[in-house]
Amino acid sequence: MNDDADYDVVIVGAGVNGALSAKRLTRAGLRVLVLEAGPDTAWTFDGYTRHVSHFYANSTKNAESAWPPAANAPQPDTADVRSGDGYFVQQGPNPFASSYTRLLGGSTLHWLGVSLRMLPEDFELRTRYGVGRDWPLGYADLEPYYRQAEREIGVSADVADQAHLGIDFPEGYDYPMRRIPPSYSDRVLAAAIDGMEVALGEEQFALQVRNYPAARNSMPRGDYQPVGAVDERTDGQALARDLGQRCAGNTACTPICPIQAKYNAGKSLAQAENRNLRVIPQAVASRILVDPVSGMVRGVEYQRYEHPGSPRHTVHTATARAYVLAAHAVENAKLLLASGLSGGSGQVGKGLMDHPALYAWGLSPTSVGAFRGPLSTAGIDDLRGGSFRASHAAFRFDIGNDGWRATTGAPDSSVASAVTGHQLFGPRLRTHLEESLPRQVRFSVAVEQLPSAANNVSIDPRYVDPLGNPRPVINYHLDDYTLAGMAAATDVYRQVFRRAGIEDRSDPEEASWMPSVSYDGSVFHYHGMGHFAGTHVMGSSAETSVVDADQRSWEHRNLFVLGSGSFPTMGTSNPTLTMAALTLRTSERLIKELAG
Amino acid sequence: MNVTRLKDLLQAAVELELSTIPPYLCALYSLRPGSNDEAAAIIRSVVVEEMLHMVLAANVLTAIGGTPRLTGTDHVPRYPHELPDGVVIDLLPFCPQAVEAFLKVENPQHDHQAMDPEHPLIVGRRPEKHPAGATAVMSRPATIGAFYAEISEALEQAAKELGEPALFCGDPARQVTRQYYYASGGMPDVVTDLASAQAALDEIVDQGEGDPSSMFDADGNLAHYFRFQQLKYNRSYRRSDNAGPPSGPPIGVDFDAVYPMIANPRGADYTDPELRAASDTANRTWSDLLRQLEAGFNGRPEMLLTAVPTMFRLRDQSLVLLANPLPSDGRRHAGPTFEWDGVDGPDPEPDQMKGLQ
Repeated sequence: MNDDADYDVVIVGAGVNGALSAKRLTRAGLRVLVLEAGPDTAWTFDGYTRHVSHFYANSTKNAESAWPPAANAPQPDTADVRSGDGYFVQQGPNPFASSYTRLLGGSTLHWLGVSLRMLPEDFELRTRYGVGRDWPLGYADLEPYYRQAEREIGVSADVADQAHLGIDFPEGYDYPMRRIPPSYSDRVLAAAIDGMEVALGEEQFALQVRNYPAARNSMPRGDYQPVGAVDERTDGQALARDLGQRCAGNTACTPICPIQAKYNAGKSLAQAENRNLRVIPQAVASRILVDPVSGMVRGVEYQRYEHPGSPRHTVHTATARAYVLAAHAVENAKLLLASGLSGGSGQVGKGLMDHPALYAWGLSPTSVGAFRGPLSTAGIDDLRGGSFRASHAAFRFDIGNDGWRATTGAPDSSVASAVTGHQLFGPRLRTHLEESLPRQVRFSVAVEQLPSAANNVSIDPRYVDPLGNPRPVINYHLDDYTLAGMAAATDVYRQVFRRAGIEDRSDPEEASWMPSVSYDGSVFHYHGMGHFAGTHVMGSSAETSVVDADQRSWEHRNLFVLGSGSFPTMGTSNPTLTMAALTLRTSERLIKELAG
Repeated sequence: MNVTRLKDLLQAAVELELSTIPPYLCALYSLRPGSNDEAAAIIRSVVVEEMLHMVLAANVLTAIGGTPRLTGTDHVPRYPHELPDGVVIDLLPFCPQAVEAFLKVENPQHDHQAMDPEHPLIVGRRPEKHPAGATAVMSRPATIGAFYAEISEALEQAAKELGEPALFCGDPARQVTRQYYYASGGMPDVVTDLASAQAALDEIVDQGEGDPSSMFDADGNLAHYFRFQQLKYNRSYRRSDNAGPPSGPPIGVDFDAVYPMIANPRGADYTDPELRAASDTANRTWSDLLRQLEAGFNGRPEMLLTAVPTMFRLRDQSLVLLANPLPSDGRRHAGPTFEWDGVDGPDPEPDQMKGLQ
């Protein structure tokens, strides 16, 4: 498209929401400009390959280690949580322990790919349990869009596993691809655990190891064609598209799938109608310009930089008929606040949520074949819903296939401690490792968090990035509802370990550093799941929310604010699938209005 | 038309497609890490399509009630391998001579100078040539394209004589579908009648040599011959190049950044016991792979899932060999020999399926 094209829609951000919007809108004939704050290095096959090499060469292996940020589009790094001197200005009292990626592709570049639907009860927590907020729409409203989202991002699962806790599917529907085969570990643990009963409050729950829906390519159903690596070339040589059409069990889903069998937003952007799309990378939206009389947005000011290392930039304004913010829950809120659009409700930036998560790790009595396959393939979902939610948070177990990698840095750290701690070497060292490493079990327990005005993103002119844009100032604390959920989750994991004969080796002293929090005589060490939500909440009135159920700003009717920032609550599901569904719903409405 | 002869032709086609894979893999695996990225992508893209061609040929054979065979000394290709038109393919590391041979395999019109037997790469390394099975079964010596044309005519003739339902009597459940085929390089066609059989054969020919006057196959992808031209000239094609030499930017071909594998290696060449053991391991894996694929083509398609990790193992074990200089030589390196392990027998052990599904 030409530089001076006149656009129907400007989209800020090329993550999953921006990319899906761009795909749908351009295919409906609308002319779209996408502004991406970070570089587009992950969007060429060569560039993606360089990110893989960067990860291999990096001595740390966290969610960011494949994705170095551009100085002008800085991003939070979990390695900075301890020092507190990263991109986030952490004002506590508890550190916010999650991160996101500011590159074309967004955080889907580093996500694990878990694509759970929210439970019907998650949409009406206030009505059902007297806590949190209700959503302005329900599961039934979103269900058709869940199906579309599962096809758009390519989810592998079997309905037979997923139809529980009130989640229902229309007759005849199944996921576009069959489930990723359960790991050996999943099957060993299922044999030990399935059917065991635990009590929460008055209720009894039977637990089951359950495969989860994953945005990783598997065997297709029907006519579905798995989408492999992104390789956009015009010369008939997009050879790499053949890669990644099936998950090959590489153990690096997070931070980077080396073959792109895992969904990333670049895939959706590559499916947009090229003739109607222009993508400008290294273009940081700095201000939303609003007509003071009508309240309509009349442009987005952005800073274009040539060199990721230099703050030199030029300032431009993009104009269109409608504007979509899809920059991330934190960045959307930041941009609204920096533009003076804090709204009549005062809710912009308020209600920040994550899934603070606990690790539990131990040694199984027999081998579970640790360190093989995707990082995880199953979980325990049975405690995601129930009447206990009136008094404490729900939670979900993720069952790792990666031994104690995430908790202690195994297997390297296991070797080091055997050598230095137990003075083992030679054949005895080998025997020890062969005997112990395959028995390593790791659970990660993600705990629900409710919205609270005390948890928020704000801006402060004292804290700016190299381009002069505000850095997010974070206030965050874990309240008793969540902490009581952590206590219940701890109790359940111990019962599960006992049942499976797993020797509990959870020891924060042995683990990588994590922030801690005290509750009722216990200390919990938590990590972030990267599930930011709640910063531009949707609702049914302008007095109490930032956007309506279509994610349209109450005050600026040609402005749409997309993503998990719109979530009033987020239950225990990873937010990507739900936000993708919301985005597809919003796109449908935008198309009706603009192309109709 | 004699159906037995048709089956022989299709069995020869399966073997022909299989025989192209080890030479391509030798070139691919000989690339040193961190070099020749585009060359690796090009060779890989071709080799996965050769795998698809083998599946397509097997599906046609299965559709007429045949049983594709990949195992045993009668069916496993040996090198140097002589194609029906006299072209000899060697197991070579990535080098200009290997690229020339690839060009000739993919396009019979390629102006190919057969390698001088005294060339240092192959001198003493071509003790005997092993003719392709197609040579024996074809009615006349000809190119691969002509070979497929003969199969195509024979199919049509047989369908006319017997009627399509009688000819295509194979169990449809034995077709390899995209559910099990590791969907790289296109989709396998399920073959149930003459039209689908011809479509499968057309795809094989189209992806390979294509239409020599056009660089692109029916899907808009560069045909194999033209992909390899880019290796020869170290340049990428532009759409405007019109089937001439490529004129685009250089693609980083570096014939020096290669493990200098000995030509046509054989396990017997490895006198060093550790090297010999590594070679035997790789050959057992290659043979396992062929047993799994054969089972996959004959009613147990789920074996194709087991074959995927076997392919990864074969790669890793080949890289071990390629990284090792020959102790007796000092310059040249070992390499995978792709020899049958001699264990003729029934289908793979059922316990290999444990852990899947």
